[in-house]
Amino acid sequence: MILDSNILFQNYFSDTKNYDEVLKSNMSINPNWENLLENINQIGLKELINKQSDVNWLMDENGVTYNVYNDPKGMHRSWNLNVVPFLIHESEWKTIEKGIIQRAEILNLVLKDIYGKRELIKKGVVPHEVIFAHRGFLRQCDQIQYKTSKNLLIHSADLSRGPDGRMWVVNDRTQAPSGMGYALENRNALNRAVPDIFKNINIHHSSSFFYNFNQMLIDAAPNNRNNPNIVILTPGPLNETYFEHSYLSSFLGYPLVTGNDLVVRNGKVWMKTLKELKQVDVILRRVDDIYMDPLELREDSYLGVAGLLDVVRNQNVAIVNPIGSGILENSGIIPFMNAISKYFLNEDLILPQIASWWCGQEKERHYVLSNLANFVVKRIDRSNRESLFFCEFLSTAQLEKLKNEILANPYHFVAQEKISFSTAPDFVNGRLEPRKMMCRTFAIAKKDTYHVMPGGLVRVAPERENLHVSNQRGGVSKDFWIITDHPQSSIQNYAWDNSCKISISNINDLPSNTAENLYWSGRYLGRAIVTARFIRMVLNQMSNSQFSVQKTESENLHFLFQSLTSITYTYPGFVGEENEEALKNPLKEILSVVMDEKRLGTLAQTLNSFNNSYYSLRNLWSKDMWRVFDGIQKIWGRFIDEKNYAPTDIIKLLDRIITRLIAFMGLIEESILVDQGLLLYFIGLQTEQAMMTISKCRSLLVFNLEEHLQYDILESLLTSHESLNIYRYSYRSYLSVENVINLILLDKDYPKSLTYQLKRIQKDIDRLPHSKNTAAITECQRLVNEANLKIESLNISKLIALNGDNTLRENLDNELSDLGDLLHEMSLSISDTYFNHTYQQTQLVNQNFPL
Amino acid sequence: MVFQISHTTSYLYESGVTFCHNIATLKPKDMVGQKLLDYHLDISPTPSEISEKLDFFGNTVTRFSIQKYHNELKVTTNSIIERNFSLQPNIHDSVVGNTITLTQALLELKSYDEEILDVRQFTLESILIARITPEIKAYAEVSFKPNRPIFEAAFELMQRIYTEFEFDPEFTNVATPIHDVMKEKKGVCQDFAQIAIACVRSVGLPARYVSGYIETLPPPGKEKLIGADASHAWFSIYIPKFGWIDFDPTNNQIPKNQHITVAWGRDYYDVPPLKGVIYSTGKNKMKVAVDIRPATV
Repeated sequence: MILDSNILFQNYFSDTKNYDEVLKSNMSINPNWENLLENINQIGLKELINKQSDVNWLMDENGVTYNVYNDPKGMHRSWNLNVVPFLIHESEWKTIEKGIIQRAEILNLVLKDIYGKRELIKKGVVPHEVIFAHRGFLRQCDQIQYKTSKNLLIHSADLSRGPDGRMWVVNDRTQAPSGMGYALENRNALNRAVPDIFKNINIHHSSSFFYNFNQMLIDAAPNNRNNPNIVILTPGPLNETYFEHSYLSSFLGYPLVTGNDLVVRNGKVWMKTLKELKQVDVILRRVDDIYMDPLELREDSYLGVAGLLDVVRNQNVAIVNPIGSGILENSGIIPFMNAISKYFLNEDLILPQIASWWCGQEKERHYVLSNLANFVVKRIDRSNRESLFFCEFLSTAQLEKLKNEILANPYHFVAQEKISFSTAPDFVNGRLEPRKMMCRTFAIAKKDTYHVMPGGLVRVAPERENLHVSNQRGGVSKDFWIITDHPQSSIQNYAWDNSCKISISNINDLPSNTAENLYWSGRYLGRAIVTARFIRMVLNQMSNSQFSVQKTESENLHFLFQSLTSITYTYPGFVGEENEEALKNPLKEILSVVMDEKRLGTLAQTLNSFNNSYYSLRNLWSKDMWRVFDGIQKIWGRFIDEKNYAPTDIIKLLDRIITRLIAFMGLIEESILVDQGLLLYFIGLQTEQAMMTISKCRSLLVFNLEEHLQYDILESLLTSHESLNIYRYSYRSYLSVENVINLILLDKDYPKSLTYQLKRIQKDIDRLPHSKNTAAITECQRLVNEANLKIESLNISKLIALNGDNTLRENLDNELSDLGDLLHEMSLSISDTYFNHTYQQTQLVNQNFPL
Repeated sequence: MVFQISHTTSYLYESGVTFCHNIATLKPKDMVGQKLLDYHLDISPTPSEISEKLDFFGNTVTRFSIQKYHNELKVTTNSIIERNFSLQPNIHDSVVGNTITLTQALLELKSYDEEILDVRQFTLESILIARITPEIKAYAEVSFKPNRPIFEAAFELMQRIYTEFEFDPEFTNVATPIHDVMKEKKGVCQDFAQIAIACVRSVGLPARYVSGYIETLPPPGKEKLIGADASHAWFSIYIPKFGWIDFDPTNNQIPKNQHITVAWGRDYYDVPPLKGVIYSTGKNKMKVAVDIRPATV
């Protein structure tokens, strides 16, 4: 071939000599990679840099994230996809696939046996302690029977290529394996950003895998088999792979729920929906075993559902994978796998494993302890880094400590031969570099066998010399191709067969938790916009007043400052005894009302709350929404970083944020259906805006002011309400309290008037589902109705009337205060009626034992 | 000897509970030397669901849930039990049980005999008895020596805990780690049982936690107060070729007719009398009353 490998692989092996997937030690090229390298060559390394940034941009734009705890980059770190994929030829993959199916089947039989007859132990195939001393052996799951054809429904393995050129099994993942959503998105992104890299290469695609995956979920239902209710259980937005949970939820079309959305009653699991409790048949879970049921498993867990395990026992729900499957994430089993394979299938293992010695056996322990420095030592039931010892790097003292730990509980430890796995080319800084890689494979139960995803998720070490591949610490992923010599039909869009269609859900089925988040998104968004506009108006007034020496100007500002405090509820602020400091340096206080995340009522805090409720809804988002959402974060981040806090800088920030928040409002309305819960968002938004209108009018219109000042304040109110033009158009007159009240509070046709807002809330609340056992009219309906009747009965001359000493419009204040109270009660009543999961789950006896 | 036992646990909820799931491990065992003649479990308010099953260790557990709003939960058991320890194998009649040494016992435990496989789990660390320290092992090895009969060693261990540890209900609660108990040498029956179990396991022998009741006798000439008794706990050690034998380190004796067994497990975690998950916002207050007296049949 004409490939100029000299350029592509310049200095490739400069500092490390290793077994590489592409470049052999004699500098020849693995022929399977030739087409890909040719494509890379044609694209050119320079252009590839652009392509890589396109991929990065796409990942960012689509909100593909991986949360890393304690990461300085914050919660939502972008998922890294390298532009250069990893590939394996079909001829090799066929063997690997067979090996994966065999391994999944063996582990399935082990799982059945461990929680059943335990013959593996009785017959001496597996030592007792490998199971009984493993913290994943949940005695609570003993003897549970399942209706599914397999006990293990999803199996995931991490493979690396060993020195003999074969793919070796490094780990098994059997509780709630992650990665298939990322694998799917990796293919989509690469295909979109770098179509040329696929040129002349035939790749197996994974659409049939996801079809079968969906079918497996449907088949798992123990009851209601024609129309099972399937949900995806996530630990929540803080979980590292939350992106994937919401991705799969939108992709498969099943509701994403947290433990709080589910409840066990009458021997069944129910999802709390807006209307009623709806029975759940299948739970695809991304929560680990021990957190699944706080009644029987880990008591302090808030991620699971109390009483769940007994429902499983009575075969009224299926959990995928079943609770207890964590026992298979057990490096103690590895030394016995071949014997197990012989025992169950009378076959040898197809996929090799790392040579391992379980320290619970005397001979093996002796061997390990006398050669400790040559091993990698693991605890059989931990896969985190803290329980992984690369002995060659340990000091004598550390080795001694480890030795004593092994001797104290030998059955907890396994020693493995240290292996140097292969590297694959990774595109870094404009050139190819060899990096250690690991493939995660996915197999799912399909009738009496397993179906394997063609490919999977490939991850590579973040640095050249790094031995360890892990997402936890932030790594890089690759698209994983299984190439074939036979042409494949062009990449299909994933489409469901009709047999897989599950009932279309409507607003009645909306999980209460989602409904609550939508409601609060509306409220926080409303508050953020009103707050931002008000602060902007105040800042503009400040800038104007710098050119003015009139007394009224400063009085005006003083008045606005105080109303800022009362509208945002950031007391004491400009109000109260010790307000002198704030008034002397108003910008400092305003900046705090903008930026201080920890202070209740500030813009930063409101936006944070909005982000939180919004982020937990991300399975409902469109890509445009993510882009705008992300835009707000970036503008905000830049403002914080640049530290320019002049009024004009803050105004610029507010302008930008406001524009995006408005864009966001528009996008929400066109991206989410009313039946998906948009109604709740509207109710939240309107309620918040109505409350803010009330509080603005109370702080700006109630005091009787001297004429000039009155004029300025009315103008400010209309400006902050974005209503000045409408006012001029409607009244063509001098600003008067009477007309302003007519427009802002009483106008029946102006969408920003309180009357209009209250009507709208009533209309939306009437559309909410009614449970059969509530009265003809709900409490929230009654309250909003009362508010509407009240505002209709208001009379303008009474409202503007002054009290005895001519200082206050007391009537106005009282009426507005009553309306505010009604809205507040209404909001509480919505929570009580529709988001009734707010009851805290607690333990009867406080016993936080580590399980 | 026939006893009637009543055991009431009540929870007062400050702000009420709308819904709860509970598991009770309260039903006394029916076994050799202990016959359960009668047993009632009363729960107020009446649970909407209730079921009984055997747990992994063969204890009877009752699961129930209450779906209506309540301010108080009251769980009462009334049992009539005939206790006759002389029906149980007597260690003093068993030559091998009396004399098997630590070395011999450890060898016996390597067998694949079904009974041995079953007891081997009680040699391992458990949830509350984890990370057994060298200090605990050293404490155990004062009594347990390779060529000494393990019965003798266990008896001495019980005596040592009885004399060297101070009974102090103020010092511990159900969540106090064994290491704190070992360090301060203070605690209650549950702590003493778990310390003993940790010691026995540190030398590689199976030991389990036993929960139950003990009949207390009033001071001479005084009438016994109702509810003066309490739940009790002790430990049991497995002697190969003999079987399980109980020791009560709190009272320095091998349980006889005054001890009534409810359940056993690896440690307290496996057999809490009552646990559950409640849906509530407030705090709760617990009260336990146990009464054991000779039955007036």
